[in-house]
Amino acid sequence: MSKVKTHKVIGFRSTRLAIIFFVFILLLSMKFGPYNQFQLANIATLLIAVLSITLLTGASGQISLGQGAIMAVGGYSAALLVTRLEISMWLAFVLAIFVSALFGLFLGLAAARLSGPYLAGTTLVMALAIPSIAIRFDSFFSGDIGFSVDYGYPPDWLTNLLGEITIEEWSLYVALPFAALSLFAVLNLSNTRSGRTWRAVRDNEVAASLAGINIARTKIIVFVCSSALAGLAGAIYGFRGLVAPSVYPTDLSLLLLTAAVIGGLRSIGGAIFGTFVIVFLPDVIERVTKFLELPETISIYLPALMIGLLLLLTVILNPRGSAGALEHIRHRHKH
Amino acid sequence: MNSFLTAFFAGTSQGAIYALVSLGLVLVWRGAGVVNFAQMGQAMFTTYIASQLIQNEYSYWSAFVIALISGALLGALVDLGIMRPLSSRKNSQLLNSQSMRTTVPVIASLGILGVLKALAGIFWAGEERGFPAPVPTTGLRLGNSDLAITGFDLFVIGVVFLALVLTTIFFTRTGMGLAMRASALNPEVTRLSGIRVGSVRTLSWAISGTASSLAGLLVTPKTNLSPNTLDLLLIIGFTAAVVGGLTSLAGSVLGGFILGYVIAFVNVYSAPENVFLAILIFLLLALFLRPQGILGSKEVRRV
Repeated sequence: MSKVKTHKVIGFRSTRLAIIFFVFILLLSMKFGPYNQFQLANIATLLIAVLSITLLTGASGQISLGQGAIMAVGGYSAALLVTRLEISMWLAFVLAIFVSALFGLFLGLAAARLSGPYLAGTTLVMALAIPSIAIRFDSFFSGDIGFSVDYGYPPDWLTNLLGEITIEEWSLYVALPFAALSLFAVLNLSNTRSGRTWRAVRDNEVAASLAGINIARTKIIVFVCSSALAGLAGAIYGFRGLVAPSVYPTDLSLLLLTAAVIGGLRSIGGAIFGTFVIVFLPDVIERVTKFLELPETISIYLPALMIGLLLLLTVILNPRGSAGALEHIRHRHKH
Repeated sequence: MNSFLTAFFAGTSQGAIYALVSLGLVLVWRGAGVVNFAQMGQAMFTTYIASQLIQNEYSYWSAFVIALISGALLGALVDLGIMRPLSSRKNSQLLNSQSMRTTVPVIASLGILGVLKALAGIFWAGEERGFPAPVPTTGLRLGNSDLAITGFDLFVIGVVFLALVLTTIFFTRTGMGLAMRASALNPEVTRLSGIRVGSVRTLSWAISGTASSLAGLLVTPKTNLSPNTLDLLLIIGFTAAVVGGLTSLAGSVLGGFILGYVIAFVNVYSAPENVFLAILIFLLLALFLRPQGILGSKEVRRV
């Protein structure tokens, strides 16, 4: 039997990891030009969404193909609050978390009865249907055009502190604290009693219910937490410039799932790795195709092909993802 | 009255196509315990093959037959190359948790879908193209009055009817069909009675591939062909399969027709942009009111 580890509610390890992530990205951004700084901001934003999948699938075994739709819920609620009620962006982000958590509650109520492929299919239908709501009720959600929203200007105290701040830097400074906080929250959550409860439900529902765990309630709570994260990510993602149906396509949901799977569904370090892969892989491929002078038809579809192949290979060779592979190697060294 | 007839005939011919998709999903779910989200990706790919053949001046019918055969081969290939190695891995320690065992094949099928779409984009440039119909797609005329049904609609209904009859004969009158039904009900006992469960499984993937390939050939004259056109069909087929009960073949066909009518009537009496929402609401209603589906049995439902 493995040793039983005990953790304090606010772990030292999770604080450390979140800070390391924050500083690492910040240092990296200083080395980078504007384009890659923007990509780093994308990583920070999408990491929050990938964490929402790691939380949902890795911790509880439920699968959602509709995280992009929940991101849309967060994005639209923040955009509506900012444009209609003219509240500050930060407050809108916080409120977007609450709205999407509420949405997650409803989703969880439905999802608690579903599992496996039923849930996957239902969330996939949702991923298609939610953006179409924006088009259906276009007087309220302004249809295909969507809302033009942005991060605004950095506050004076920050420019006084750091000097001139470019748009790319500012978008990173907006996204990064949220990403570090989400990382901290997810790391802590998985070490608490709830985290262990979720894993028990994931591994064996019957055994978990015999141990006195309320399965339905647990699943709903997981959905609420996961949706809150996805909604936050959606709000930050939309405020890069536009909140519209085209910003949250079905492919986004699948891309996020790919990131979580490549890294390893049960590993938070894996989520970070997977997010880096999905954001930077297209750039790397573009350089290679330019270097090899491949025709355009290939270069357009090559990123999608590589990401699909990566997903497939991960699942076939090592379903635990790259984090699982590392763990495997470490284990072999120990014995 | 005329708009009612339009919706009715459109619903019947579209419903026939949805029935094929839903049948394909249910076949693989019963046979292998996997909901194959790559199914319409496979169909998209084989329809592109047919389109390429027609461009190279093969006749419609030879392209039609080759597309169906490649649908079967592709289905078998997915099982042999990916799903079977995966299921043998599922017994290893790597995936010892219950929920992951159903989750991982779903993820694999999404990977296949992504790869097929990208390949189609690379091979065929990815822009939307038309796909021919063997009969005119204009409305039929009877004497002086226009009918609300096109020749192509009749063709679709006829072909699907023929396919369903053949499937029924296969499952009720042939040994292989009985073996498939047996292994869906109880793989262990079937194996013990000397039937090769593995081959039966691959066969269900192949039949499913053929059915969805046929659906692709029948739907693209109206929707055109691009790597993404058939995604919607998968969503509708899935909903139809759930409505009919994921375990029942007859239920899946019934579910397909129900979805056909629902979508056609929403299209005619409301607006096309309501279709997605209608599908979602219909799916949620079905899951809440009758989770085992119209014809599904409660015990067999693996939820």
